[in-house]
Amino acid sequence: MVLELRDLAITFRTDRGPLRAVDGVSLAVEAGRTLAIVGESGCGKSVTALATMGLLPPNARLSGSIRLRGREMATLAQPEWRRRRGREIAMIFQEPMTSLNPAFTAGEQVAEVLRLHERLGERAAFDRAVALLDRVRIPDAARRARQYPHQLSGGMRQRVMIAMALACRPRLLIADEPTTALDVTVQAQILALLDELKRETGTAVVLITHDLGVVADHADDVVVMYAGRVAERAPAARLFARPEHPYTVGLLGAAPRIEGGPTRLASIEGTVPDLLHPPEGCRFAPRCPFRGADCTRQPPLSEVEPGHATACWRAPLDRVLAA
Amino acid sequence: MTAPLLELRDLRKHFPLRDAIGRRRGAVRAVDGVSLAVPRGTVLAIVGESGCGKSTLGRLALRLIEPDAGSVLFEGEDLRALSPAALRARRRDMQLIFQDPFASLDPRMTVGAAIAEPLRLHRITPRAGEAARVAELLERVGLRPEAARRWPHEFSGGQRQRIAIARALASGPRLVIGDEPVSALDVSVQAQVVNLLADLIRDLGLTFVLISHDLGVVRHIADRVAVMYLGSLVEEGPADALFAAPRHPYTRALLAAVPGRGIKAPPIEGDVPSPIAPPAGCRFHTRCPHAEAICRTEPPALTGGAHLAACHLQDRLPPAPPLREAEPGGDRLRRLQSFFQPAGSDA
Repeated sequence: MVLELRDLAITFRTDRGPLRAVDGVSLAVEAGRTLAIVGESGCGKSVTALATMGLLPPNARLSGSIRLRGREMATLAQPEWRRRRGREIAMIFQEPMTSLNPAFTAGEQVAEVLRLHERLGERAAFDRAVALLDRVRIPDAARRARQYPHQLSGGMRQRVMIAMALACRPRLLIADEPTTALDVTVQAQILALLDELKRETGTAVVLITHDLGVVADHADDVVVMYAGRVAERAPAARLFARPEHPYTVGLLGAAPRIEGGPTRLASIEGTVPDLLHPPEGCRFAPRCPFRGADCTRQPPLSEVEPGHATACWRAPLDRVLAA
Repeated sequence: MTAPLLELRDLRKHFPLRDAIGRRRGAVRAVDGVSLAVPRGTVLAIVGESGCGKSTLGRLALRLIEPDAGSVLFEGEDLRALSPAALRARRRDMQLIFQDPFASLDPRMTVGAAIAEPLRLHRITPRAGEAARVAELLERVGLRPEAARRWPHEFSGGQRQRIAIARALASGPRLVIGDEPVSALDVSVQAQVVNLLADLIRDLGLTFVLISHDLGVVRHIADRVAVMYLGSLVEEGPADALFAAPRHPYTRALLAAVPGRGIKAPPIEGDVPSPIAPPAGCRFHTRCPHAEAICRTEPPALTGGAHLAACHLQDRLPPAPPLREAEPGGDRLRRLQSFFQPAGSDA
């Protein structure tokens, strides 16, 4: 396993009391595979990624285990963590403009990473940077390497971020909504590029997204999160063929599809719970059409078929249909 | 066929660019000769990627900005010919819903006051009847009448968008333009608002122009679809026909790029060229996998009967990839999803 999270919990101290953003998350990613973490705003998917990077803010408290290639990271102090993490994990974000330095050219920023990680000289690092920019399919890479971030399109900026990530030769690449800010034709290009790099380098990928269509086309395994907890975990094909958590069922029906025709979308009534005052038991219960008296107790994440687990007292859901 | 409620004729809008000392240096050709008609009681979607001119077109249609050329006809009447007073009176018939409900509501105004503002502006409801009308509008968008006394910050994104919709409906408009009205919302909340919009359009007989980059949302509520690329229309037609058999290579690329169809290779390479210096001939030719010599020199005209496309090769293109018929979850998933319909909704 490249990455293994066990019973991860993250609590933020806030003015209004402790906020448990992540509550008992366990997951694992193997080399050469893509694990998608899917969920809506506030479900804890991005906080899980930041914790893995050792980038939590000072008001966060963490418990549980984060193992990177077998080594425990969660017990380390964050600076020590970041140093040990070194080249092993790289991350790309939704808005590359905020992660790139506007005062340096694209080539200089990639070269900087190479000088730190590969101890290359200035000239050699820049040449390698141009080669990397070409590798992530930036047309006319030698010219683009001398341009500043504001002179590049959104898609090209994201390619520069991917080139910087590649420069570290990471074992794990975390991509947090990497294409959410991009147009759909450019999104398709960037996701195909990430697939190709995963195949060629064997890096493990954690893809954080709200888009189930992206999951269907690009993930091997999926974790569906709701209000800080794992609702369902499955191989991607099984999640779509046989969803076993009511939230997953609702989410699949709520996403508008071009195959859908002018039909009514599934409606998950209400809103996500306030994590300062989460409901007792199953957090989805207040919005769940299948809820019952037992849902005031928290359901454990248990397997319904090999590799496919759900946290729902009603599972397998075929029983609901038979009733 | 009756006269369209809204008609755009050969609209053009270029935004001039100036250098540091104010000299003109070219222009962004945001909208470059667009004609469209929206029949009464129908939903027209305008789709395209960022910079294609769809939002500018929406603002031109409401005369929130002035076109350089062309005309906008509302019920056959040219909006540009109206006096300022007559245009103000016309405004009650035409409303706009924005993407960001956080920016479109005044934080210092209660929800009730925000919804009542257009009623007062157009002197629609006597003061005595105002509270009842506000309560009715709130219920119409699925909120409780008590919401009137509260402030925008007390509501979630989805609820604020419902409030913005109630405010847009207050003056009893016949035309509503929604500029990415559900794009800022999470999937589960987005579905609620899409269903609400579909209900309102049907129940109130609204004429609706949906400006959106999300083809899934468009598929669920549009009757007709217009596809824009670099300031021009490339295809326009009935939604069923356009999704089933797109005729322009750009429309095909947009549809193929929608995630979740099992198409892993990107349909087209490269970025959209700059609208400051769009390519000659067909503007899509630099990215089109089918382009021939004529496409580089001759701009194609929009041709066809009810389903129009601007492509020299439209009759010779290979068939588009078919839409997937069945969802992998099949009948079991459909039956489970049938529980996710609110009580009392006529699905």
